[in-house]
Amino acid sequence: MTEIARDYTTDELMTVLMAREVKNDDVMIVGVATPMVWAAFTLAKVTHAPDAIYHYIMGNTFVIEPRQVSLLYLEMNTARAYRFQNSCECTLESLPSDKLTTIEFFRPAQVDQYGNTNNICIGDWKNPKIRLPGCAGIADFSGFYSRGSFLYTPRHDTRTFVPTEKLFFISGVGFPEGKPSMCGGIGPQCMITNLAYLNFDDKTRKMKIGTIHPGVDIETVKNSTGFELIVPEGVNETTPPTVEEIALLREKVDPLGIRKLEVLAGKEREDLLDQIIQKELAMVNRFPKSLSIS
Amino acid sequence: MTLEEAIAEHVQNGDLIGIGGLSFWRKPIGLCREIIRQNKKDLTLCTFVGGIEVDMLIGANCISEIKACFVGMEIFGMAPNYRKAIESGSIKVSEESEATIALGLRASYLKVPFMPLKGIIGTDFPKVRNDIKQIVDPLGSDVQVMAVPKIDLDVAILHVPYADEYGNCNISGAVWMDDDMAKTAKKTIVTTERIVETEDIRYLPGKAQLPQQTTTAVVKLPFGAHPTSCYDKYTFDASHIQAYLNMNFEEYKKKFIHSKSHAEYLDIAGGSRMILDILL
Repeated sequence: MTEIARDYTTDELMTVLMAREVKNDDVMIVGVATPMVWAAFTLAKVTHAPDAIYHYIMGNTFVIEPRQVSLLYLEMNTARAYRFQNSCECTLESLPSDKLTTIEFFRPAQVDQYGNTNNICIGDWKNPKIRLPGCAGIADFSGFYSRGSFLYTPRHDTRTFVPTEKLFFISGVGFPEGKPSMCGGIGPQCMITNLAYLNFDDKTRKMKIGTIHPGVDIETVKNSTGFELIVPEGVNETTPPTVEEIALLREKVDPLGIRKLEVLAGKEREDLLDQIIQKELAMVNRFPKSLSIS
Repeated sequence: MTLEEAIAEHVQNGDLIGIGGLSFWRKPIGLCREIIRQNKKDLTLCTFVGGIEVDMLIGANCISEIKACFVGMEIFGMAPNYRKAIESGSIKVSEESEATIALGLRASYLKVPFMPLKGIIGTDFPKVRNDIKQIVDPLGSDVQVMAVPKIDLDVAILHVPYADEYGNCNISGAVWMDDDMAKTAKKTIVTTERIVETEDIRYLPGKAQLPQQTTTAVVKLPFGAHPTSCYDKYTFDASHIQAYLNMNFEEYKKKFIHSKSHAEYLDIAGGSRMILDILL
């Protein structure tokens, strides 16, 4: 019997839920500046998915070995590859093939009820109120994946979850107008947030509550969503992390807490960033620690 | 050739410049700093994932248009000058995805006007890019594809760890877009950590990913990617990036870009202590 953890934080819960989506034969695509995804994939790798392969976009490489999550020495992880690509190959090889099943998590700035996403701008594109960094490969791959695409955000609020008419730019395809994309992928599979695990209704393709996290009530989830969320009968509570998952995450996978940078804001975040940088600079061996697969 | 000569001779106002590297890794910062010092104008930048180099060039008013699928300061936050310039409408944006850049360069390489792409269908890209068109397979299947235009670079600027005097370059670690940029650009300027002999290039893994026939100029510039990384020599200088974000750009430019020599820049940026911190 696996023991359920009593004491865990939101970032840890989300990371564990993301890890649980990984299957043993997946190619796990790690994007730029997404340490929470990297931690989740590494947790999956050292628990239930030992054969999964990392595909680091930042290194354009395929890597087998799991290593500790790192901020400064990320290149050391990606360079320990069995295959190097250039970015063109990387882009094309990320496209689904009959041979690979791919899992990638996208973090949208805005998402609508059909899982369409925006990472381009807030406000009109021509005259934006906020220019966001961009969508990188989301536009290319969101409609393609045969395993579907996976979404996450630690900011479940009405600024992130908006109805289609308030989505300022579609830079990632979900189920446009309730239909699967023309590109052949099966569409978004889930949206993991700080409040709930959301997925999509089979018929209408609209977002629905899958499970709600311990301590959160349905009203909070509904009120934090800017469109009408489907609420099925008898919503269950999210299965919390196990003691083992939390211990692995804290002690082996990401002991510096780099994943938390995705959740924190302001001064708290600055302080953690400083702390991580100082700890990593103090490391004598700058290869992030190899992790054993259990 | 010196850094100054390389930029003066090969970069013209109005050029379409390809920048190698990705995000905070192996960006040709030394070359970008020189472009700013020589006050080049009206450049269009093309890079896969842009970071501090794009932000600096925008801050120094060298840029009129940007083609990139992502410009940000990664986990450190947003790129301030990039944001400000787009929000105020002072530079043009050509909205790109990874594949529109990758295939745009590939089209240039193949000397064809466009490449077909099966991604981005269903996104708003065609609404803001009138040079992208959804077409049906001209060979008769009913498949819809996006035609994305070629990208013909005038100049590629790249930083590598090893090069010989002829311009054969070896990159330890990820190559990113560098080889496609070098192959398609009319001119390719490279800065390198070390000048080695051609014989040495033969024994480095991957040999010359950038062969001499595609290189126009090589300049030796150790730590030429600082504050970004150059695998397998050094990682990025996180403190410098934090300092950049906490400083007014004019102040930054005065302190770090208009310094007299590369050695002086490295001194001001923390000197031997900083170097010991970033060395792998």
